[in-house]
Amino acid sequence: MKKQILSSFLSFSLLLPFLFGIAGCARNTDSNAQILRVYNWEDYICNEDSEEDGYVDLIAKFEEENPGVTVEYSTFGTNENMYNELKIGGGGYDLVCPSDYMIMKMIAEDMLEPFQDSFVQDSNYAKYASPYIKELFEQNGWTNYAVAYMWGTMGYVYNPEIVDKEDLTSWSGIWNEKYSNLTTIKDSVRDSYFLGVAYEYMDELDALAAQYDVHSLDDPDYAEYNAKVTQIMNRTDKQTLANVKEGLIDLKKYLYGFEVDSGKQDMFTGKIAINFAWSGDAVFAMDEAEPVYDDDGNLEETGVYLNYIVPQECSNIWFDGWVMPKGANVELAQKFIDFLSDPENAVINMNYIGYTSAIAGDAVFEEMSGEDWYGEGAEGDLDENGNPLVPYDLNYFFNGTSDGAYSDGDYIIWVSQESLDRQIAAQYPSEDVIARSAIMQHFDNNTNAAVNEMWEEVKGLPIPVWAYIVIAVIAAGIIIMILSYIYKGRRAEAKPKKGYRVLKKG
Amino acid sequence: MIKVHFSRKQLCIPYALFLALFVVFPMLMILFYAFTDTVDGSITFTFANFINFFTSTAKLSTLLMSFTVAIISTAICLLIGYPIAYILARSKLRRRNVLLMLFIMPMWINFVLRINALRDLLDVINLLGTQNYLNTIIGMVYDFLPFMILPLYTTLEKLDNSYLEAASDLGGNKFTVFSKVTLPLSMPGVISGITMVFMPSMTNYVVSDTLGNFNITILGKLINEYFTTYDNWHMGSMISIILLVIIFLTLLATGGLKDSKTEARGANLW
Repeated sequence: MKKQILSSFLSFSLLLPFLFGIAGCARNTDSNAQILRVYNWEDYICNEDSEEDGYVDLIAKFEEENPGVTVEYSTFGTNENMYNELKIGGGGYDLVCPSDYMIMKMIAEDMLEPFQDSFVQDSNYAKYASPYIKELFEQNGWTNYAVAYMWGTMGYVYNPEIVDKEDLTSWSGIWNEKYSNLTTIKDSVRDSYFLGVAYEYMDELDALAAQYDVHSLDDPDYAEYNAKVTQIMNRTDKQTLANVKEGLIDLKKYLYGFEVDSGKQDMFTGKIAINFAWSGDAVFAMDEAEPVYDDDGNLEETGVYLNYIVPQECSNIWFDGWVMPKGANVELAQKFIDFLSDPENAVINMNYIGYTSAIAGDAVFEEMSGEDWYGEGAEGDLDENGNPLVPYDLNYFFNGTSDGAYSDGDYIIWVSQESLDRQIAAQYPSEDVIARSAIMQHFDNNTNAAVNEMWEEVKGLPIPVWAYIVIAVIAAGIIIMILSYIYKGRRAEAKPKKGYRVLKKG
Repeated sequence: MIKVHFSRKQLCIPYALFLALFVVFPMLMILFYAFTDTVDGSITFTFANFINFFTSTAKLSTLLMSFTVAIISTAICLLIGYPIAYILARSKLRRRNVLLMLFIMPMWINFVLRINALRDLLDVINLLGTQNYLNTIIGMVYDFLPFMILPLYTTLEKLDNSYLEAASDLGGNKFTVFSKVTLPLSMPGVISGITMVFMPSMTNYVVSDTLGNFNITILGKLINEYFTTYDNWHMGSMISIILLVIIFLTLLATGGLKDSKTEARGANLW
């Protein structure tokens, strides 16, 4: 008996490493140290992975400034993965960074901890976040539950050596034989649905734009115009779905393909000439594609100046924001957001990620109006070709966020005409673009299912003719096999072939 | 000192636990998810996912596409794999093990790396972006060929030469010997090769996405979409179950499920 118990024990011990593995996952409950669990998109903060390239590790910096605090940083790949993990109750995260529609969903499902009033009214975020973004959040009722992190628009990145800018002033520009096999769009249902809707309703959107003629956020008609654009962009009725499906299936024959993350790379390697992209990725693609010159102005690496355009009908304003799931350590989470909202840190982050931070402030404007980024001179200066620089007005974004170095109305950057089509247009959209940009709402479950079904059909259809032929041939083969089986079965006692003699028994 | 003696039963405990935790439990979970639905946060029992699958144009066309891709890939693998395996097994080449290893070696290189290398290759010869279906099938064949060759090689190598000699002695020409003796006797290898290639090529969406530029949707991709972006684990599980049933049926049809003991030596000779 003793032996048996011992050997049972030993065989269980084979499982020990596995059990230790589970124990290792248990939460560290040291009461002195505080742990901040952050859950973010991959490659979406300047941290230790990026340090060797001369960037500052922001997480280490935060830990340094707040002794006793440890940041546990993990990443997710899709909003839905993150959402499901939270739903199942895993992680114990204090701070999560979902996209706009997921934030709406989480607010609607009461999954979030509200920010403290003191934070909403007085913090780095309250002080330095762009007034435009704050207004957007206020209008939609998100102020208490979310703060914006990165934001941007959607548009086309294109290679001006191959593509006519005129063709891409409308979203319909890629439905064009001319650019057959040169375009990729996103393999993402929401982004591509937006594209399909914009294509479907371009006439209506054009008519609206002509009717209201809004080019600034101060225009008295802005709110009404933008609400109408938003309404169109969020249509999900049956007819719209059917038309969008048709439009996108039609588009497939002109496409090089869909992409998840390869679009930027395919752009600067020259595989494709048009990419339907998020503005942040567009900045990255344009940066990478540019020719490289050494300090003496000699060409080191050839390249191409890619352009970015937001077609005239409308665009999708997207953002990713920080939220605190129920049960989060609110104080600590707010501290981290406060830290990230310091303009100095926002600049570090933006330099690394390439996306546009929602944070304005002196440091950000200084950086971007400096020579490294977008500044090319002052009013009256000439560009390389001898043309005068043109103003790029970003007051809508920066006004009211200064510590004193600038005042409202100062936020104008002087750039050359060519630059208007490049990084700056993607990273800081002009007021004109903002005026026609709408937020795509979160769809309810039924709508979501219908939109997904539509997308599946877009991806799965049309079935090529040869596929039917293959299936038909195989079906025929199976039928013949079955028939021959039945036929064989009928004459189970096969007659001997001619020439063979049947030996009789006995 | 007590001598420790394990009984067979006791040695089985870790494996039984392993099976329960990582095979049975997940299967039950999938089954549970497949036949339920979450409505307003509460889970209800339903056949809706099942019905949805067979009434949805998108899903049926995906099923058809997966079938077509898998059938063509398997057929090509068989057409290429059989002669290779036959030559390798029947020839008197001294270095045939080296040759065999050359065919198997790609399996030791990381799959994603191989597929991406193939992608660049296809790009060089201008197939990428234009011939999505062809690329996918090339990728599947490239990836799964070793799985076809190995079982074929093993059966053909074990084939008793005296059968062939006997057949020749009885007046069979080379073709008759092959079609009446070699082929029927190698059927177990053919069947296991087919199952090893057919099933993964219905679901291996890394190949179709990478080489077909996301233009081709196969069932594996659909399952992935349901779990990662459509946020509907119920439908995803249902597709997995349906795929499982299809695979099971294929096995049943090809006789792969038969207990090998009942397959007496000559049983496969028709």
